Amino acid sequence: MLEIINRSNDPFFNLALEEYLLDNPEIKEDIFLLWQNRPVVVVGRNQNTIEEINQRFIQDKGIEVVRRISGGGAVYHDLGNINFTFIVNDAPSLTLDFTRFTAPVIRALQTIGVKAEDQGRNDISIDGRKFSGNAQCRQQGRLMHHGTILFDTNLEDMEQALTVDSTKISSKGVKSVRSRVTNITEHLSSPVSIDEFQDILSNTIDENGKRRELSSTELSIVESLRDNKFRRWEWVYGFSPPFNVRKSQRFDWGSIDFRINVKKGLITDCKIYGDFFATGDISLIEQELIGVRYRDEDLLQALEHINLASYFPQAYVKDIINLISL
Amino acid sequence: MNIPKNLLYTSEHEWIRVDGDQVYLGITDFAQHHLGDIVFVELPELDTEVVSGDSIAVVESVKAVSSVYSPVSGTVVENNEELEDSPELLNEDPYTNHIAVINIDNPDQLEDLMSPAAYEAFCAEQE
Repeated sequence: MLEIINRSNDPFFNLALEEYLLDNPEIKEDIFLLWQNRPVVVVGRNQNTIEEINQRFIQDKGIEVVRRISGGGAVYHDLGNINFTFIVNDAPSLTLDFTRFTAPVIRALQTIGVKAEDQGRNDISIDGRKFSGNAQCRQQGRLMHHGTILFDTNLEDMEQALTVDSTKISSKGVKSVRSRVTNITEHLSSPVSIDEFQDILSNTIDENGKRRELSSTELSIVESLRDNKFRRWEWVYGFSPPFNVRKSQRFDWGSIDFRINVKKGLITDCKIYGDFFATGDISLIEQELIGVRYRDEDLLQALEHINLASYFPQAYVKDIINLISL
Repeated sequence: MNIPKNLLYTSEHEWIRVDGDQVYLGITDFAQHHLGDIVFVELPELDTEVVSGDSIAVVESVKAVSSVYSPVSGTVVENNEELEDSPELLNEDPYTNHIAVINIDNPDQLEDLMSPAAYEAFCAEQE
């Protein structure tokens, strides 16, 4: 099996690389790659991104957000996590076999004295605690299987980045499922570095296989896919299934109940209810917000344009902006 | 394995029901069985022009994300929005719950599709 050597830690590049390798009809052989990302939350293909991320925490920590092309729930990656990807010719039977791809991970762990096993449908675990989540994506006769391996990830950051108060948001997006997790390092009797483990895993998959790096042509194709798809707000947020947001708050001057519907990232409906004194026609604000992208910078710009102070006494404006923004 | 006699089939495990110039398209019992619980369906936009072989929908199951290919060329005139709220309908009854309706350009293209008997043999080979 051919190993593609990839040293990039850029999550946007790495997800673009997977798509490039899966889509490229000129690549006909079975391949695999091992890779790592700098801190990032990776949401599943059909998840509602804002329902899955702790916006404030990831902003403060400089954690990025990206959407992958495979399904399932949100995961957190950092440089303590190893990702593995197999891209092979799809078995015509449609039989979606996970164990074929998780077996080398289990074997590699055996060589360093750690006993791991498949758990449930998509996971690999040690003593009932998950360290690897797996997903598959099939197209045009090719099958991609990829998974995470928690080697020495910051589990506190993981926990916080994925803890969301989503009671204000509802959608038909795919929801994440929480599991008890563990790092491999917790189970080592003698120290093994993450680089050493990566080498062991690579050799376990195919000791005598060919290895190659990307050509400069391939690099530029992947970089362009990164910039035109994976880095774009339209993919990371806008691709989310339609969702509704309801935010309400009581202030000393009254109360506001703000409801919007969002489709493809754009506000399609907006209603402002409440018990307050307004000096203008509120429905004009509602109309102005329709068509605006549901993200802070666009909302704030729209609200600035509306000049809230002409509807509400100046004292209310900051409260209202805080409520409406993400 | 349920393979209704009044439908045509593809090697990608889609079924086709012909109704005049329109074809109804869905996934087969074999497909839903192998995919497992379906949790999300990405539908094609109305009025999309499709060429035979194009991916027109994406189905996410608990196991995998898979493309659904159109075996015909034409225009999408209906998408089954019920699947947005209830993707599990594809598991419960894959033949009454179509994914899309396509207005076909040329009925000759239906000749390449498999008969129920041919599809049954095809599935048997794959099990």
